[in-house]
Amino acid sequence: MTDAIVTPLTQALAEGKLTREELKSFMKRSNAPGLRRLALWGLVLAATTWLISLTWTSWLIWPAMFLHGIVLVHHFSLQHECVHYTVFRTRWLNDLVGQICGLIIILPHRFFRYEHCDHHTHTQITGEDPEMVPMPQNLRDYLLYLSAIPYWRTKLTELFRHASGRLSEGELRFIPKVEHQAVYRDARIMVALYASAFLAMALTGWWGLLWYWLIPLILGEPVMRFIRMTEHVGRPTVAQMSENTRTNLVSAPWRFLCWNMNYHAEHHYVASVPFYALPRLHEKLKDHIFVEPGGYLAAHRDILGQIRTSHEARPK
Amino acid sequence: MSDTPWRDVLDVADLEESWVTRVDLGSRKLAVYDTPSGVYASLALCNHGGADLCDGYFDGHVIECPLHQGAFDVRDGRPVSAPATRRMRVFETRVKDGKVQVRI
Repeated sequence: MTDAIVTPLTQALAEGKLTREELKSFMKRSNAPGLRRLALWGLVLAATTWLISLTWTSWLIWPAMFLHGIVLVHHFSLQHECVHYTVFRTRWLNDLVGQICGLIIILPHRFFRYEHCDHHTHTQITGEDPEMVPMPQNLRDYLLYLSAIPYWRTKLTELFRHASGRLSEGELRFIPKVEHQAVYRDARIMVALYASAFLAMALTGWWGLLWYWLIPLILGEPVMRFIRMTEHVGRPTVAQMSENTRTNLVSAPWRFLCWNMNYHAEHHYVASVPFYALPRLHEKLKDHIFVEPGGYLAAHRDILGQIRTSHEARPK
Repeated sequence: MSDTPWRDVLDVADLEESWVTRVDLGSRKLAVYDTPSGVYASLALCNHGGADLCDGYFDGHVIECPLHQGAFDVRDGRPVSAPATRRMRVFETRVKDGKVQVRI
């Protein structure tokens, strides 16, 4: 008999951490919570955009752009939820919003979907997890990662590789052949849209998109790198979901921005649970997962402590 | 018309309402779906990553894999969301005398 593969969910069900009825209740979906949060999201974006306008002629435009950038980079969190179809019950709404988020943060949605699926299959397994952020070996590597320079280099290289009709060896492993052309097409559309935006700015002489979008995006990305590190970095590089992923308890504004993705271990356990049900799932699973009660800052204290310990342990 | 005989797979009363029910039939694992337009059945394992579809989210006529959220239309097995790209195997299904039956 062919058996289903063992996943964190099948383990949780088998071990009685979750019953089938509870699972069904957690997975239940509705459009309303996602639409409500999206409306609030729009208001927050409008507010931070307005702040840039308000500070246009002052040096304060830089902190305003940084603040706006923090919101912009969190389109990643929304896109991530859309990848899992856990924002809206209506599937095409997830596809539409995910595509828009991908356009905003320069991450083609289809490619991210395939890459992210592989991340869920091989979470925190060195050499197999395509999204794995390696544990920095020293403070320099840690700060370099947080600068987002390696991130942008990787992402832009990836985009142009796809636009030129090529996939890396690793990508060939998780993108089925029938989707190769579609991935190339998505990347070309992305490049064309950005090229058109620059051409339009050059022709009109209005460079607002740089100040309202691209510079804030670059300024904000280190914040997203800071958050992404807290999900798995510093946790053991093993297949056990109870060990390899960190849930961070953070304040309400951060939970809003990251669409509850701070409940990361719960999400990895049952990726079909909509974002608004993750706090409830946390209550159910919190004794079976790794929880960092001190949030993002404490997670970084942990990571920095591990870097220091490993540095001190090396032969002089 | 198929010569394959109908086989009882479970009592209608044991179907999970508007959801997916797991059935072991000999060496095969089946997923049986209670939908607004009737009962359908497919192989239970996702043809993408091998996860058990019976632990997935089910809505209307769409079953979503619990591992990657790839999805299929249970009426004809058509993939509706990546990373599912191949049709899943479905079986002719009917309800007779209080039993769900499939041709398999």
